[in-house]
Amino acid sequence: MTTPAVRMVRLLGTVSLICGMLIVATKLATSTRIRQNQETIMRDSVAELLPGIRKQIIYAIEPSGELKIVPGLETEGPRLFAGYDAAGRFLGVVIETSDRGYADTISAMYAYSPDKQAITGFKVVDMRETPGLGDRIRSDPDFLANFHDLDATHPPKVVKHGSKKNPWEIDAISGATISSRAVGRMLDKSVKDVVPVVLKNRDRIEKGN
Amino acid sequence: MSEAPRTETGNPFTNGLWKQNPVFVMVLGMCPTLAITNSVRNAVSMGLATTFVMVVSYGLISMIRRLIPKQVRIATYIAILATAVTVVDYLVKAISIPIYVALGAYIPLIVSNCLTLERAEAYAGKQPVVASMLDGLGMGFGFTLALTMLGAVREVLGAGTFLGVHLFGPHFEPWVLFLLPPGGFISLALWLLFFAAWKERAAKREKTAEAA
Repeated sequence: MTTPAVRMVRLLGTVSLICGMLIVATKLATSTRIRQNQETIMRDSVAELLPGIRKQIIYAIEPSGELKIVPGLETEGPRLFAGYDAAGRFLGVVIETSDRGYADTISAMYAYSPDKQAITGFKVVDMRETPGLGDRIRSDPDFLANFHDLDATHPPKVVKHGSKKNPWEIDAISGATISSRAVGRMLDKSVKDVVPVVLKNRDRIEKGN
Repeated sequence: MSEAPRTETGNPFTNGLWKQNPVFVMVLGMCPTLAITNSVRNAVSMGLATTFVMVVSYGLISMIRRLIPKQVRIATYIAILATAVTVVDYLVKAISIPIYVALGAYIPLIVSNCLTLERAEAYAGKQPVVASMLDGLGMGFGFTLALTMLGAVREVLGAGTFLGVHLFGPHFEPWVLFLLPPGGFISLALWLLFFAAWKERAAKREKTAEAA
């Protein structure tokens, strides 16, 4: 004879086991597709940030600061994408970066031109910012215009909407200050840490080896 | 949540869709209703994700309803709802990452939406499988319809667009207030006012017809 407590434990245990199996089955069934989607989004973002690109090489930045060519996107850690046109000419690099936003981590990519020493494009690839406010960092044309030749010889700095004076300043979105500042922080950190690695290895990246 | 027995009459599908619309009649699920309805696309995606969760989980809950001890029914409902939500989360990510990014934190929050739990308790825990799934489908479509109506008002007035297509000329000054949280409350109040006035007129007309 089973007591009510045993019945409760048995039912909850069985339900949890079945639910767990359903979740694992869904994860296994969708993981390849999700990885393919993420890879497509990454490659499309690189193509969008470096117009005219025909070939891209992915480099992983090792803890020692050295660059290593990696075959795909499976590698964890900071990566950069070097882009080349149809004639094999070097166009620039796209660098991954991220920082804590208002709701969760914002992941983004930006194009950097070693010739101009400037950021030439910016794209948010993943975020959970407030719809209609913080999420405008992905779509607001005025905000994205900040990244057309943003001077990267100085650390980028976010300023109040409408008060941009210097070429390294980013005009914040009115009503989305926290998300705008997160973008400023992630670029500031990346320009200080990754751009020197790009400049140090510029010859190698240009040759694609 | 009320323990009082409810009387559920009529077709479970049409009840949820209109007569007992979760947003405009029962005023349930206000968190996503007010938070994500600043564009039609977000509203429709959220509504469909909620519909999937309700149909699948109500089917499962109804299937095992006689085995669930009364004391642990809410815990069981939440475990099943959370599983359906996690499945939706993975499916949306596998189908389209842009939609997954647009819905943000609101997919996981479906599990704590009082609409989903209320219907599990009031209907799926007591009714047969097909009726429960139809109730989930009707409530889900009713929720999607209400979210879309709110999203349409807010997107048109707040951004001057509908489904991202610009409706007015370059001189249109968007009423940004409608994209902000107060805009959600104002739009909801306007729709509730509209339906209350409509109901009152219909009742008056019925009274006049009866008197004549």
